[in-house]
Amino acid sequence: MIGTARKPMEEILEALDGYERITVMGCNGCAKACKTGGEAEVDDMVKALDRAGKSVVWQVTPERTCYIQHTKGSLQGHEQEISSTDAFLVLGCGGAAQVARQAFDEMGVIMPVKIGLNSVGHLDTVIAGKLAIEQCQECGDCVLNETGGICPITKCAKSLLNGPCGGAQDGKCEVDPARDCAWALIYDRLKALGELDKLKIYREPKDYGKSNKPRTLVIG
Amino acid sequence: MKITELFAKKTFVLTSEVGPVKGCVRETEASPSSEFLDEANLVKSCVHAVNVTDNQSAVMRLGSLAGSVKLKERGIEPIYQITCRDRNRIALQSELLTACSLGIDNVLILTGDHTTLGDHVSAKPVFDLDSVQLLKIANGMNNGHDMMGNQLTPPPQFAMGAVVNPNSNPLELQLIKMEKKIKAGAEFFQTQAVYDPKVFSQFIKATEGFGVPIQLGVVLIKSSKMAKFMNEKVSGITVPDSWVKRLEGVPTAKAKDVCVEMTSELLRELAPMCQGVHFMPLGWSDVVPRIIDSSIK
Repeated sequence: MIGTARKPMEEILEALDGYERITVMGCNGCAKACKTGGEAEVDDMVKALDRAGKSVVWQVTPERTCYIQHTKGSLQGHEQEISSTDAFLVLGCGGAAQVARQAFDEMGVIMPVKIGLNSVGHLDTVIAGKLAIEQCQECGDCVLNETGGICPITKCAKSLLNGPCGGAQDGKCEVDPARDCAWALIYDRLKALGELDKLKIYREPKDYGKSNKPRTLVIG
Repeated sequence: MKITELFAKKTFVLTSEVGPVKGCVRETEASPSSEFLDEANLVKSCVHAVNVTDNQSAVMRLGSLAGSVKLKERGIEPIYQITCRDRNRIALQSELLTACSLGIDNVLILTGDHTTLGDHVSAKPVFDLDSVQLLKIANGMNNGHDMMGNQLTPPPQFAMGAVVNPNSNPLELQLIKMEKKIKAGAEFFQTQAVYDPKVFSQFIKATEGFGVPIQLGVVLIKSSKMAKFMNEKVSGITVPDSWVKRLEGVPTAKAKDVCVEMTSELLRELAPMCQGVHFMPLGWSDVVPRIIDSSIK
């Protein structure tokens, strides 16, 4: 999922400065899982905006706000609310906010779309409802088959491909001693699998051309 | 002069290290020298070459190439350190061509400390290449082509060094990487600081068949406070408790004598196991000749 964290209320109100009538749009996908943009958090934001003296026109939480069809679908039939709104506040990732802007563009509506969250990474939930961590950087050239299913591009602070740096100590990372050294994990895993020979293979420099931005994916 | 020529002649190779200044080295009438050059001058007559660190500990300073050239101009053989932290593959290869063009013969290739450990913590860390890859690319450059196979006319001619940490646990993982560095083209190694004779002898035994010269790395310990700091904060180094105790309560004026004593004892025991010693004096370059006199010569 795309991890999100709420911006401070002062920053949100600064972004909404000059706009009085607000609609809050959440996201029932990743932002719901992060407890930042599901229906409950949209309710909270409506109350907070109300306390700050804003007039909340409407609230809506599409299934996945980064899917254009969900977002556009959620707006259809609500032309009256839209026309009464000065600005939309999206509680979703940066992609959700941009898809919402696209939806308005396609509807021929010039609508200011503001965002209430910071996107903090492609994260995996490792303790349900509690903790998500980054394990994949979408590099476009997956090496998990060679590294025992542990990604050195993401989990090694230096994205090293040929083994650990000299800074690791007792299996911990020099950047954060609370964190395991990715290469120590890879070593343990490959040893357990009887595949230590894989560590001895020289790994060529990564083709970062595959992660040049912005990327596209032709789905159909 | 390539440092590998000395190893080939079975010379016991002594090197020391200077960190470039936070500022410029530009001699004027008012200030004819600099702290950086003064440090290097202190070891000039007793070591074969001097490493110049590349923004060590991720603290922004004068570049290691400029520092290396300044040493070369003064007749001190530099070992130019280059890390993968701050430059992508284009900049690294270009920098190597520049280094060769400016007279550099020895290059030590490292990964580099992470940006978050230094004084510009919000910097974007690069690490486009790792040290093994950069060694292989530099070796290819020595052989006349860049990493994309394009011809270099004329190519550089570097003696290439690398680093290894014998304190690393598990050692096997470190040795696997060391062998990769050798295959990639590393011709000599300088180790992370080692203070435990048992650790070093095990490491030397494990690398017996590797066929590359190894210099023992020694960071000079200046005080019990520094020793404790290194144990707590510096990854990959362990200063023995006995050293901490010997420095406990020793006034600064006497600490250099104790440092000479302790380091010399260590070197008398460990030097016979390897092909050289690399000193990391961290500002105490004046102590290096005293240690060499009482342990190696």
